[in-house]
Amino acid sequence: MATGNKQIDALARQFLKLSLVEGSVSPEHVTGVLAYVEKHRPPHAAAVLKAYRRLIAAEIARGQAVVEHAGPIDPGVLSAIAATMTTRYRRPVTSIARRNDALLAGLRVRVGDDVYESSVAGQLGALADAV
Amino acid sequence: MSTVLEQIEQQIARLSTKAVRKNTGTIRAVADGVAKIEGLSDVMYNEMVQFPAGAIGIALNLEEDEVGCVVLGDISTLKEGDEVQTTGRLLSVPVGRALLGRTVDALGNPVDGKGPIAAKENYPVEKIAPGIIVRQSVSQPLFTGIMAIDSMIPIGRGQRELIIGDRGTGKTTIAIDTIINQAKINKVGLASGDPKFRPVYSIYVAVGQKNSNIVRTLVALEAAGALEYTIIVAAPAADNPANQYLAPYSGAAMGEWFMENGMDALIVYDDLSKHAVAYRQISLILKRPSGREAYPGDVFYLHSRLLERAARLEGKGSLTALPIIETLAGDVSAYIPTNVISITDGQIFLETDLFNQGIRPAVSVGLSVSRVGSAAQIKATKQVGGKLKGELAQFRELAAFAQFGSDLDAKTKAQLDRGSRIVELFKQPAFNPIPIELQVAVLFAMQKGFFESVDVKKIVAAAQSLKEFFATRKDALLAEIRNRAALDQDLETKLQAACAEWKGAFTA
Repeated sequence: MATGNKQIDALARQFLKLSLVEGSVSPEHVTGVLAYVEKHRPPHAAAVLKAYRRLIAAEIARGQAVVEHAGPIDPGVLSAIAATMTTRYRRPVTSIARRNDALLAGLRVRVGDDVYESSVAGQLGALADAV
Repeated sequence: MSTVLEQIEQQIARLSTKAVRKNTGTIRAVADGVAKIEGLSDVMYNEMVQFPAGAIGIALNLEEDEVGCVVLGDISTLKEGDEVQTTGRLLSVPVGRALLGRTVDALGNPVDGKGPIAAKENYPVEKIAPGIIVRQSVSQPLFTGIMAIDSMIPIGRGQRELIIGDRGTGKTTIAIDTIINQAKINKVGLASGDPKFRPVYSIYVAVGQKNSNIVRTLVALEAAGALEYTIIVAAPAADNPANQYLAPYSGAAMGEWFMENGMDALIVYDDLSKHAVAYRQISLILKRPSGREAYPGDVFYLHSRLLERAARLEGKGSLTALPIIETLAGDVSAYIPTNVISITDGQIFLETDLFNQGIRPAVSVGLSVSRVGSAAQIKATKQVGGKLKGELAQFRELAAFAQFGSDLDAKTKAQLDRGSRIVELFKQPAFNPIPIELQVAVLFAMQKGFFESVDVKKIVAAAQSLKEFFATRKDALLAEIRNRAALDQDLETKLQAACAEWKGAFTA
């Protein structure tokens, strides 16, 4: 998300680049970036860090499949989803489970901006839109 | 048998559990009809996006980590953090004959309270204009029913003719007259059963107009029986700028359906000045770099890509465009007027001074031009009105000189006299288009000097009397002119005799 200030956005993006190792966010590099910012505080440091946080969060979301489920979920399913998404996106994708009873049944998988909807609530919603 | 049923059930079960992929984003800010969205990494330029509560938007600014969308619909329900989805579809509107006689908004939804529209097809709002190979030169006339235009600034099917002038100079009236005239011609042509007859359907796009003005236009078209051949696309002043920006493109899509299905259509954009203003508003909110008069850099492309969609296609139909531009204090050299003048195939310039002098339509002969020229005129009009533009231009020049001196030679006096008669002859009330055959008859009478003995102040009455005479008593002769479209020796003799008969009976 752009902040409206090009210098802030550019600096946040620069920090993001420094935080990546082989396309994934490296916690050590993030700690290094934060230490650097603490030591050499840039103008509008808070805004830069907010923009940096958003970019890092988006980057983490790209490498993480959030599997929302209503009923119990087998760990094997989670691993299968992670493997499928890793193949599809050609980057390492891990999966985490999150319970959501509003789905009624089925799954909803979110990887970055993409949502894979196979829940009953989602299908009912689509049906309601189509009627 | 049960195995077969099981197979089908399994297939249904597989289908129903198939995951649907959606690309999503999150609203970060909403202001002035524009939403800034984080995410939507797969969105296409100009793609429709789905907001919660049924509102849709169009992705106009694709930036590195945000998307700027104009929202079409109610933005009051949108809030920060709402999820937005891509649809994978470009914006499209319903098209077809079902829209005739209806008033729709920029998205093709009916706004006239006449119920839903049973349109079977949709066309994309944005479309690349036809290329060079598929185009045909403009050679078929499109009669406006306005004598000054049909005789001096003829318009052809597939042409783009700009109507330009200050506010209150009769720009919309000319457009409405033209639509009414098409309806009149359609009725006569379709009743005749002539298989070669090609009706012209009209689309009136109102951009940034007052609702009261749109209603007035609607009533005028209905009263003239022209609404059944017309689609009205309304994006009034109270509509959000996104709808005002889209309305002309929606209208063009509706017109293209007629063109691509072998029919002829006429589209009026009323007006493109307000359209440019709406686009400027959107662009400034989207923080696009602004240029001259704060318009964005692509304001020329905004209108060129719209007007290029008007064409006459080889083996298909045509789309004629009449864009309207409002000038300020007659300044045709302003940014938007010069842009549109350079795109169109000519312009009809309306002057405030002429309008105030009672010369209506207030067409300025000197500044008006049709670049298609006489190619879009029937032979009969060329025969009787070929020299009119020159004569009238000469008259204006002489009239300006005559103000300074009182001693004028006989030739100059005759020219001034003839010029002032032509000016009077071209006066025409609003919403009263004249059929082309009647125009030919009147101009013939002018050419042969039947008005010379009539006092200049009584020319309008005399012309009216002549029109009534022809319409009531010489119907067969008018039909002959209409069908032959050229004056031969025989027709000229008949016209001469008819004019002489009228002159004998006319008492000024």
